[in-house]
Amino acid sequence: MSSHFVVAKCRSCGYLAYPPRIACPTCGSLEFRRQVLDQGTVTEVTTRRPVNKRRQLPWGNWLDQHATRLATITSDLGPRIVALVPEGVDVGDRVTLRSQASTAIALPGQVVAGQPLLPGGTVGDGGPGIGTPLSDYPGRK
Amino acid sequence: MSDGARIVGSGEARYVRHPSVERRTETFIAEAVMEALDDAGIPLTEVDGFAVSSFSLQPDHAIDLMWKLGISARWTMEDTNGGASAVNMLQHAMRAIEAGDAETIVIASGDRMEKREFHLMTDQYNKVARDYLAPLPLNGPNALFAFLTQRYAKQESLTQADFACIPLAQRAWATKNPGAVYRKPMTLDDYLSSVPIAPPLTRFDCVPIVSGGNAIVVTSAEKAAKLGAPSVGIRAIRASYNPDHQDGDGLTTGFADIRDDLWTAAGCRPEDVDGAWIYDDYPVMVLVQLQNLGLIPDGDVSRYLNQTILEDAWPVNTSGGQLSAGQAGAAGGLHGMVESVRQLRGVAGERQVPDAQLGLVTGYGMVLYTHGSCHNAAILERIG
Repeated sequence: MSSHFVVAKCRSCGYLAYPPRIACPTCGSLEFRRQVLDQGTVTEVTTRRPVNKRRQLPWGNWLDQHATRLATITSDLGPRIVALVPEGVDVGDRVTLRSQASTAIALPGQVVAGQPLLPGGTVGDGGPGIGTPLSDYPGRK
Repeated sequence: MSDGARIVGSGEARYVRHPSVERRTETFIAEAVMEALDDAGIPLTEVDGFAVSSFSLQPDHAIDLMWKLGISARWTMEDTNGGASAVNMLQHAMRAIEAGDAETIVIASGDRMEKREFHLMTDQYNKVARDYLAPLPLNGPNALFAFLTQRYAKQESLTQADFACIPLAQRAWATKNPGAVYRKPMTLDDYLSSVPIAPPLTRFDCVPIVSGGNAIVVTSAEKAAKLGAPSVGIRAIRASYNPDHQDGDGLTTGFADIRDDLWTAAGCRPEDVDGAWIYDDYPVMVLVQLQNLGLIPDGDVSRYLNQTILEDAWPVNTSGGQLSAGQAGAAGGLHGMVESVRQLRGVAGERQVPDAQLGLVTGYGMVLYTHGSCHNAAILERIG
């Protein structure tokens, strides 16, 4: 369901860009390749209160709003990633970064950063969608 | 000091939480513009430059607004930098007047902003917000500033009660500002027992979304002198945009980069200013800006908060700031500048800072991914 969490790496100097950039800010190169970024440490966590019960995303999908647990992950290779984390994950925890391109859900024990939710992509195709209460994730007891 | 340009008037369209259907973005901006011109004593027909910042003008732009407002001009600009738009527009307007490209420029901003518009704006704030943050779902910037607040609390050993000093002190100022949407006195208990939005942020750490508009009038020193009323001169403006490519911690910001140059160019020191109007999207950023710009000389942030801000009520955001007066979209950028101009011209009513001569005004904003990327500041001075 989820895939490797990937960032852009400058082919010339190795700078890691997430979200990706057009030009490398340290050497000016325009050439990037993909770099898997999977290990990190949670540096801040918050639980964002739902703002509205239900609202529409810019591309039309309706989103059920629930409290969402969000974190800053300082990856071992440097970049800070803003990610969705399951309940129980706290500051100082070691985590594995994963991404899910079309539904962006968090698997237990893993962390999913905000990879693009494709316009027109359905929320919850076979699995829990964005905004699913954390207690309803598969495998959570 | 700019020899050529003076701020001679300011206006604010009354902020409202829930605007009636017929009041649109243009309505709020127009009200602010007319009030500012009235305040300056300059007729609309003498305006020859117009700058505007708004998140909700589309599909209109500055030129459409000029047409609707009846302004013919020889200079125009439109700014998209939200909280940093006011200082940026002032920097450009000042140079245009110095160069003779225009003589009297109105700088305006405003938004009709309700919950739905606000969420649409934050979800599509930029492509990264749309593609990488909104889908989490992030639901606005509160969580990002909760992270920055935690990081800063750790760095400076601050408690929740320390952070409370900012909203409490600003609310105390707001009780004297009839234009603030929240004016009821607030206690530490009110703050600590309020709804958690994204811990450690409570409801009182997040700006109330309002609709409103703000405007100032900038003109030549020559014309300002003829008007006879006190005006406001611009000692220095400095800015820093995208200084760290979002690789920094968001706590040592572009303000630290511009600090020395800003004070040198202004020919004064942080301790010389009589008040500060700091862009207050969140209490943590008020502190980061004050600290980065050198206003917390001993580095003891907790003491500064409890003593200087809360007990001594040293003037910071004397309108109540956006935290109590409200954030009217892009008008939030001009809110502090309008208040500083009122204070320096001596027309701030019950909350007037005695003998206010020198003021610091800042702009901050435009989160690219994890923190703001636009930093600018102006040192303003009362003339006459």
